[in-house]
Parts: sequence; C-alpha cells; structure tokens
Amino acid sequence: MHNRLPINCIIPPHMSKNIATKGTEAQKVRAINTLKTSEQMRGQRQALAEFSAAAFRVAAVGGKERVVYDAKNGSNLPGTIVRREGEPPSADVTVNEAFDGSGTTYDLFNDVYKRNSIDGNGMRLDSTVHYKKGYDNAFWDGEQMVYGDGDEDLPASERLFNRFTIAIDIMGHELTHGVTQFEAKLTYSQQPGALNESMSDVFGSLVKQYQLKQTATEADWIIGQGLFTANVNGVGIRSMKAPGTAYDDPVLGKDPQPGHMKDYVTTISDNGGVHINSGIPNRAFYITAVELGGYAWEKAGQIWYVALNDKLEANSKFQDCANLTYRAAGELFGAGSIEQQAVQKGWTEVGLPADGGGGTTPPPDGGGCLQALLRFLGAAPAK
Amino acid sequence: MEVERIKFERTGGIAGMRFAADFKPEDLPDEQARTLTDLLDDLDFDELPEQMTNEPSASDQFTYTITVETKKGEHTVVMGDASADEKMQSLFDLLTQIARRQMRKS
Repeated sequence: MHNRLPINCIIPPHMSKNIATKGTEAQKVRAINTLKTSEQMRGQRQALAEFSAAAFRVAAVGGKERVVYDAKNGSNLPGTIVRREGEPPSADVTVNEAFDGSGTTYDLFNDVYKRNSIDGNGMRLDSTVHYKKGYDNAFWDGEQMVYGDGDEDLPASERLFNRFTIAIDIMGHELTHGVTQFEAKLTYSQQPGALNESMSDVFGSLVKQYQLKQTATEADWIIGQGLFTANVNGVGIRSMKAPGTAYDDPVLGKDPQPGHMKDYVTTISDNGGVHINSGIPNRAFYITAVELGGYAWEKAGQIWYVALNDKLEANSKFQDCANLTYRAAGELFGAGSIEQQAVQKGWTEVGLPADGGGGTTPPPDGGGCLQALLRFLGAAPAK
Repeated sequence: MEVERIKFERTGGIAGMRFAADFKPEDLPDEQARTLTDLLDDLDFDELPEQMTNEPSASDQFTYTITVETKKGEHTVVMGDASADEKMQSLFDLLTQIARRQMRKS
C-alpha cells in the first residue's frame, strides 16, 4: 500500500517538524498547524489511495500495470488519471510516451531478467506528466516517475529542454531508481550515489537498445538524446561511451563527467557529484558491453543486474562494484571466461582493476543452475 | 527585509547541471524585485533552518542553495524539491528564471 509523500502541495512533515523545533515562535505555530492539516489530508488521501489501489489490483494480477496521471502543470502528485492499462492511446503524445516507456522498461526487466516490475512483485508503474510549468527535469519520488515539460514557458528562441518523456532512456533511468531502491538501496550520495545514478543510466540505455534491437556497437550510448532543443550545442545529457563530451554550450557549460578515476571530481554539490562521477562506472559498462559484442542487455546487462540485485549494498563504492561485477561474471559464465575478462577490461580502463579473488571455477560440464538459466534465456552459449 | 545581494544555485536533477545567479535586487526590473522581496518576507527566509534537504529516496530531484545578504549579515538555506511548499516553489521558479537570464547574458 502506498504511503505517498505529500510533496509540494503542503509542507511535508519532516520540514514542518524541522520548523516546529528550530523556527521562530510564529513559524512554530504555523508549522504545528500545518502538521495537523497534513495529517488530516493524508488520512483522506490514504482512504482514496486504498480505494483506487483495490480497484486496480483486480485487473493487475500477474501482468504489467501502468497508470499515467496528468499534473496539469501543477505540483500535486499524482494528479488526474489520463490512461490506464488496456485503454487506447491518448491524444496527448506525452501521456503515450510515458505509458510506452514504462511498458518497454517493464518488458526488459521481465523478459530478460525475469523481474516482475520495480519491486519484483508486480508493482503498478505510475507516471505523472506535465508536472509544474517550466520544469526541466524528471525524477523518481520513491513511489512513482514524474516528468516535466522542459522549459516550455520560455520563448522558443530561449528554450533549452524539450519534454522529458521524449527520450525512452530517461524513463528507463527513473524506473531503475525504483529497482535500486528495492534491491541494493545505494545511498544517494558520493560514490554509492554515483553508482545509483550509473545503474539508472546503464539500464536506461539498455531499455532504449532493447526497444531498438541495437547491438552494443550500433547503440549511441547517449543518455537523453532529443532532450535538448536546437538551441543547445549537445547531443544529450551524458555519454556513456565518452563521458564529458555530451554537450559544450555557451549557456549550459561543458559536460563535467570524468571517464577515469584519475579525474574523479570531489564536490559537495549534487549530493557529492552523483551525476558527475557516474561517468566512470558508465564507461566501465560501455567498454565491457562492446568487448562482449552482441546485445548489451544479454551478457553485460545480466552481470550488472546480478550485481544490483544480489551483491551491491547501500554503501558500496566503485571498487566494490568492480569486484562484485567481476565476481558475478565468474559465477554466471565461469572464472577466466571471456565475459569475466571483459568485465576486468572495462574496470581496468577506468582505473579500477577488479580484485581477482572473485568468481568461481566453472563446473566441468559447463552446467550449474545459473548457466542453465542463462541458456534458457539465450544469454549463454549452448553446451 | 532589506536584501542587498542574492546568491542562488540549483544542482542535481537528472541532467546534473548547475544553474546559478549572483545579483542585487536593485538590478532587477522593479516588479520582479518586489515579487522576490515579498516572497522572502512571506517565507521569513532569515529564520528558516539552514538545511532542509531531499528525502533519501528522492533521486534526481533538484537541490537549491540560496544565500540572502542583508545589512545584518547573510543567511543560507539548502533545500530540495521534496522539502518545499508552494511559496518556496515560487521562489525557486523565480530564481531559476533569473539564473537562466543571467547565464544567457554572461
């Protein structure tokens, strides 16, 4: 059952509690009143949420279940329902993009990694579009995806961003934050936060490649292609192939991402540079995927998924990720396998050679449960 | 509140880009300067806690750092989207607009 955070429409409880303890007398009185109102509103909303969720659950058994809401340029979440599973396309392209993007993301995780939705248990995929006016962002709020329309409030000659549903990898990115929240729970700060961001870029890019049926060498490895208007000198917000080269623009500045540990950026901004230093693990994944060839979601994606699902922990750092993906490759494909060598190459080229202690010796018959599962999925060679 | 100078920074968001502005209200158009001062007064800005950051799970949300300088000194507030009420959101929107203009001019 959802316990939605009451963001934006009223002062959220944690902020009111802050003010109630730290604010002036007048602020304390106002904060206490807000807390009371908030509790009352939350009660009403909870009742509504329980009613709606119960109604949806009947139709949601066993399959993918998507709902798109429209915030109508306001900040109240989730907004008004505009499309549900099984309903025909909307006249609004943004609604359909959010619906289809969450569908392809569900398909990748379900078809390839046998994961039933974000929580692994059929969680409904909720998206809100048209969030606020001039909101040049998309985010995961802990329970749902939220998409702004870019800076549509500016004159066309000044606009930098298109709507955020325009790029399917952005939607895959946001949904993967949900998967991380349920699995590795990577802390959203410093290196664990940059790994959290990188996982979202990795699977966001794989969602796009899966949709387009592109091999690793055919893919552009750009995150957010189409997001910039023609006024911006850039191809997207990040490049996994060549971090630091996605844009170089008079207004936005230059893409600050490093692609090697020697260029790691130490900063307090952006939760310790989570969107900056993610370039390093992003490039490690890209190199691994290209080294292996074929569809990146099959082998490289499988290795990274096992690390995210089973091995990484809240405080894992880059070196841990290198070691754990290396170990995962050994367990999936065998110690010393070309897959494990590819992982080692990926991390070594970004300055983080994996600890060679990981991995297991492959069984003499090349079998084992994981190998059998991979053969079933078509991601490992037949015996 | 007699504001002498404002420093504003927006970081994070899925694009991870930095938007910033550093200006004196007297350099803004009169109406915009008035709206800004009214918002700061309504929020009791100089009494707000310094840290009102995002929820731990709020991936890709913006983080705003606002420093307001007055004759009495300066006060900085760091806050995320998820921590902001509607009035604070209006302040974010206005300061982001000013930052966009300033970045375009520089």
